[in-house]
Amino acid sequence: MFYNKILFATTASPTCDNAAKVAFDMAAKYEAELIVFHVLGIPSRGFSTQVQDVKTGELEEMYDENYTALVKEEIKGYYNGLSDGVDKLKIEVTAGIPYTEILRLARKEGVDLIIMGSHSTDEDVTSTRYRGTAGSTMRKVAKRARCPVAIISRPCTTCWKLFSNIVFATDFSKAADSAFQYAYKSAQAVGARLYLFHSYDLSASYAGGHAPTQGEIEAKVKEAQDKMQSKYIRKMSDYDNYEVAIWEGTPYVEILKYARDKQADLIVLAHHTREYADPEEAVMGSTVEQVVLRSPCPVTSVNHPDMVENK
Amino acid sequence: MPEGTVCNKKTIDTKEQLDALLADKSGKVYYEEMKSLDVNVDMLKTALKNTLRSRLKTWLEMCAHCGLCADSCFLYLVNKRDPKQVPSYKIQSTLGALVKKVQKGEEITNEFMHYCMDTAWSKCTCCNRCGSYCPYGIDMGIMFGYLRGLLFAQGFVPWELKIGSGMHRVFRAQMDVTNEDWVETCEWMEEEQQDEWPDLKIPVDKEGADIMYTVNAREPKHYPEDIAEAAILFHIAGENWTMPSTGWEQTSLSMFAGDWGACKMQVETVYEAIDRLKPKRAMGTECGHAHRATVVEGPYWVGRKNGQPPVEYIHYVQWVAEALREGKIKIDPDKRIQEPVTYQDSCNYIRNHGMADIVREIMGYMVAPGYFVEMTPNREHNYCCGGGGGFNGMGKYRPQRNVALKCKRDQILATGCKLVVSPCHNCWDAIRDLEEEYEIGIRWSFLKPLLIKMAIIPEHLKPKDE
Repeated sequence: MFYNKILFATTASPTCDNAAKVAFDMAAKYEAELIVFHVLGIPSRGFSTQVQDVKTGELEEMYDENYTALVKEEIKGYYNGLSDGVDKLKIEVTAGIPYTEILRLARKEGVDLIIMGSHSTDEDVTSTRYRGTAGSTMRKVAKRARCPVAIISRPCTTCWKLFSNIVFATDFSKAADSAFQYAYKSAQAVGARLYLFHSYDLSASYAGGHAPTQGEIEAKVKEAQDKMQSKYIRKMSDYDNYEVAIWEGTPYVEILKYARDKQADLIVLAHHTREYADPEEAVMGSTVEQVVLRSPCPVTSVNHPDMVENK
Repeated sequence: MPEGTVCNKKTIDTKEQLDALLADKSGKVYYEEMKSLDVNVDMLKTALKNTLRSRLKTWLEMCAHCGLCADSCFLYLVNKRDPKQVPSYKIQSTLGALVKKVQKGEEITNEFMHYCMDTAWSKCTCCNRCGSYCPYGIDMGIMFGYLRGLLFAQGFVPWELKIGSGMHRVFRAQMDVTNEDWVETCEWMEEEQQDEWPDLKIPVDKEGADIMYTVNAREPKHYPEDIAEAAILFHIAGENWTMPSTGWEQTSLSMFAGDWGACKMQVETVYEAIDRLKPKRAMGTECGHAHRATVVEGPYWVGRKNGQPPVEYIHYVQWVAEALREGKIKIDPDKRIQEPVTYQDSCNYIRNHGMADIVREIMGYMVAPGYFVEMTPNREHNYCCGGGGGFNGMGKYRPQRNVALKCKRDQILATGCKLVVSPCHNCWDAIRDLEEEYEIGIRWSFLKPLLIKMAIIPEHLKPKDE
C-alpha cells in the first residue's frame, strides 16, 4: 500500500490533534502530497451569503476573501510544528456542509486516503439540529468515500510504517472485500501480522425475538470459517503471517475486545452495509462509529475498490 | 454623490462586478452609499407610464382604507397589531404616495426611498394572503412585487438581493454554480448511488424524455443528495427523465429583488432547454417560489401570449401524487409516518396555485390514519412561513424576520407535532431557522427523504451482492 495524496479533514481544533500527527507523519514518510482541509462555515439563513462559523458559531460572510485567508493562516500556524518533512502541503478551506465538501474535494483531487479525527455527535454541527436528521460527518464520509478513510481518536504512538498488528473485521459484505484488499496490502507492505476477524451478530438474533441454539451458533461459525477461506485466505497466495478468529456477540464489542487482545495497531473494516439500510434511524450509531469512539488505535473504513485495487 | 461605487442603478452583469459587491462585507459600504443615492425622477416617470397598468391603478384608487386586510397579515399580527403594519397602509404610504408624488411633481427624497425599501422587503413577504380577504380583492403582495421593481431600477434594493439578481445574470443560477459544476455534481451523485442503486442513471440532456426536471441551485451547491434523492425516486417509479445541462436552475432571486430583466433571462434559459430537449412535460423540485417564477409568472415575463410555459410544467407534489395514485411508487404501510405530523402549505403553490387537495392526497398515502394534524389556519389560508419573498436571506432585516417566524412557531406548537413536512426550500429554511432561534424541539423534512424511507423497492432494483 502506498499513498500519493492524502486528504486530512480537520476541525483545526484539539479534537483533531491526534489525527493531525498521523496525517503529517504519513505524508512525510510516504512522501505524499498532504491537503489539509477545513470547512469553516455551514450555510445558514436561506440564500444569504452568510455562513455559521463552525468554531465560533458567529455568522460570517462566505465570500469574504480576507476571512478565508485569515482562517488559512490560522490553520498553517496551528500545524506549524508538524509540517517539517512534508514537502507538498496544501491548505484548503471552504464553506458548506462538511461531509459534502470533504467528499467533493476527495473526488476532485482523487486522493488515496482521507484522515479524520473523531468527534462525538454532540459537537458535530451537521447532526440533529442542522438538517433535522441524525448522522455525523464521520459516518457519512466513511460510508460514501471512494477511498479508505482513517479515523483517529486517540494518540497513535506507532508510526504507520511500523505497524505490526492489523485487524481486519468483516461482515462478509461486498464492501468488506475492498476492506480486505486494503488490510492485506497494508499488512504486506509493512510486514504486519493480519488478523482476520468475524463476529456472528447475536444482538440481531435476540432483537428478532429468537435466541439461537448452540447448534445454530456453531453452524454459523462453521459457515463463517468457510467464507474466510473462500473470500480471503485463498486470495493471499503465499502470505502466511495471519490468523483467523470467529467469535459471537455484539460485533463492535467483540471487535474491540479482539483488537485489544491482539494489541492491534490498526483496525480495518467496511462500513457494515446491512445496518445502514436506514441511516437516519441508526441513532445508536453504526459498528464503525462505535468502534471508532472506543478504539485505542486508528480505524480505517474501506467500502470501495477504487483507491485500493491498484496500490 | 449620486451613484455609488457598489450601490448604484446599474445591474450586475459581470463576474467582476459581482465580486466587487461580494467583497463589501455585509454591504457596509453599499448601504452607506445608498444614503446619498439620487432618485432619477424621469426614469421613474417613464417606468410608471409604461408599467403601471389599469389593474394596479384601480387597486390604488379604489382602496377604501377599511382595514379589513389588517388581520389577514401575519406581520401585522406578529408585530402586536402595529397600525403601520396594516397592508393597505403599507402600500398606500409607499407605492400610493410615490405615484402621487410623481403626478404632482413633488420631491422624492432619499429618505422616502429608504422607507419604501424597508417596507417592501421587511414588511411584506408577497404571500398574497391579504388579497383573499380584501372585499375588492386588492392584492398588496402583487403591488409590493411591482414596487420592488421600481425600487430595484433606482438602486434601492437590499444588498443580498442585488447579489442574488447578479448571480442570475452572471451564472443563470441564484448561486455561483456553473453549468460545468452542475453536470459534474450530477455525475458525482450518479456514481455515489451505484452500490445501493445499481443501474441508477442521472441522464443529462436526453432528448424527448417524458420529464425534464429542474432544481434549485442550492442543491448542487450545498445539498447534492437532494439531486440523488430525486433520481432515486424517478428510478423507483421507472420514469424516463432528464435534466438539462443549461437551464437547470428554476428559482428566481431576481423575482424577490424586482430585477425584471434578470427574471426574464432566467426563465428564457429554462424555456430554451425545453425547446432544445423537447420533453413531454417539465417538472420542478419541491421549491415554491421556483414554481411561481417559472410556471406561473415566467410565461408573462417572456411574453408568451397564452400565459403558459412551452410544455406542461408541474410542481413536484403533482408528480408525487400521480406516482402514488398510479402505483408507480408504492408505500409500505408499516413504514408510514406514525407520529403526529403537520404540513406547511407553501404560499406559492398552495394559495397561489391551488394544490391544497393534492398535498393532502399525498399525506393520505404517507401518514398512518389518525396522525395527520392540520395547522390552523391551513390550505389557501395558511400563513407565510415567515421567510418568504427573500426575507430569509437579508442580513439588514434579520431582526424583523426573526419576529416574523413567531407566527409559524406558534402555529406549529399548537398542532403538538414534532415533525413538519415542508416541501418548499424557503419554508424549510424558515422552519430550520425558527428551530435555531426558538428551540421548540421539532424536525422538518422535504418529501423526498421521507418517500425513499417508506417506498417498497421493486425486487429488480435491489443490489445483487451478498
